[in-house]
This record gives sequence, C-alpha cells and structure tokens, in this order.
Amino acid sequence: MTDDNVSRDAVVIERNFDASADLVWQMWTQPEHFKAWYGPTGATVPVAKMDVRVGGTRLVCMKMETPGGPMQMWFTGEYREVVENKRLVYTESMSDEDGNVLSPSAMGMPEGHPTTTEVTVELEDVGGRTKMVMTHAGIPAGSPGAAGWEMALDKLAAHVEGQSRR
Amino acid sequence: MTLMTGEERLSETFAALANSTRRAILARLADGEANVNELAEPFDLTLPAISKHIKVLERAGLVARGQRAQYRPCTLDAARLEEISAWAEQYRPVWEARFDRMNDYLTQLRPQRKTDKRDD
Repeated sequence: MTDDNVSRDAVVIERNFDASADLVWQMWTQPEHFKAWYGPTGATVPVAKMDVRVGGTRLVCMKMETPGGPMQMWFTGEYREVVENKRLVYTESMSDEDGNVLSPSAMGMPEGHPTTTEVTVELEDVGGRTKMVMTHAGIPAGSPGAAGWEMALDKLAAHVEGQSRR
Repeated sequence: MTLMTGEERLSETFAALANSTRRAILARLADGEANVNELAEPFDLTLPAISKHIKVLERAGLVARGQRAQYRPCTLDAARLEEISAWAEQYRPVWEARFDRMNDYLTQLRPQRKTDKRDD
C-alpha cells in the first residue's frame, strides 16, 4: 500500500489522554467502559460482547432514536491482534443481531463502502499519560465487481490527487 | 448519525457510476477534457446515447461542461470524486466525537480509579 492509499482509505486520529495506558486499553476491551463512550452522538450501546483474544469475535449494537422510532444497528468482527495495553486490531462489518454479516448496500449504504473495515488502536505510555493512535481502514472486498470498481477509481483518484497538488 | 446527509448525495453519485460506459467516460476524462465526439469514439453507441450518459454524469456532479457553443468540452469534476474516494472521511467526525466522550469519561473516572459500572 502506498501512502496515498492510506490517506484515501483510512481515518487516522491521534489523541492524548491524561490516563494510564491500562485504563485506555480497558476503554476498548471492557464492555461497560466501551458502552460509556462509543456512542455515536444520540445513540446508546445496549450490547457489547467482546471475546478479546486473537480470533475471538465481537458483537456491538448501536441503538438510536429516530423520528420513525428506535433503530438498531449491529456490528460484528474478529480480533486480529491483541497486545495488552499496546495494540489492538479488530475487524468490523455490519451484521444482524446474530452476527451474520450483511452487505453495506443491503443496509442502504453507498456501493463504495467496504463490507469489512479494520480498526487498529495503538497505545503508548508517555510519562503516565497515554498517546493513542486509531486507524480505521477499509479492506477491499475482493469481489469481481469491487475489483473493477477499484481499477476505475484508482485512475480517477490519481487525477484528483494531481489536481489537489496544483 | 452524521452519515445520513452525505449518504444520500453519495447514493446519487454511485448510481451514476454504476454503469461501465459512464465509468469509461470518466476514465477518459481523467486524461483531459474531451467533446462528445471524442468521448463516443471507443464505443459502439450513437452520439445521443453518449450524450445521455454525459447528462447523467453532469447531474451527479461528476462532469462539468464548457460553455463554448459548438465545442462544449467535458471535464472531470474532481471535488465529488474526492468525496467518494474518501469514504473513510465520513467517519472522522464520528470518531472525533467518540474520543471527546472517552476523554470526558476518563476525567470522570479519575478521582476514583476503580471500575465503576456506568451503563448508560
């Protein structure tokens, strides 16, 4: 992957917290803590099942009130790397409440949305405070349709980048 | 969620892109502006058919057309393409808000370091 791909297909956010790496790790790995901040705004997290070990699965439910009544969205995934207090990598896909993966288009998301994304959390102790770098990246779906899409978009994206550098 | 408004606009753009001829037209325009005749060349399609595809791309904000009466070259509108190729950027505000809340929550926890259950 080139740097251009990373910047285009991932969100990278760095934050510093006045808390130990151990506590920030718990924010991600203990359901009761996770539910307290994950949101997003206006949403609650009634379910967060986390089997935090490599190959372990996760299932998260986000519930929000809409004018049409409460709406639930389920997300499932698998832990890929678990290095306590340092590094956590897990995948995320939309799913039903039993953890069966649903395609983003079935959920009304635009076609270009990757089916599976990957969240990487890196923690570093900086004199009692914690530096956290979170990377949320798309994983190419690999279906023939998606591949054609990628090729078409690569060329276009190269053009876009050429323009923004002018 | 913040995804909703952008989502509708994106659907419109993706609908325009869900056609191999239109994607090929865009790929051609990535090399530089072209008029309808030039765009039609590689295809076994009539000029009106090509014009129709261009109109769909125009409505979706992917292509802009010049105003010179006869020539009216088509150019790629990069802004919308940047938006769709950067799907991940939609998530940035969601994550930023989450980490604001994480920070507030950590601040609440600070006086008593034990794991108090807060279910909300």
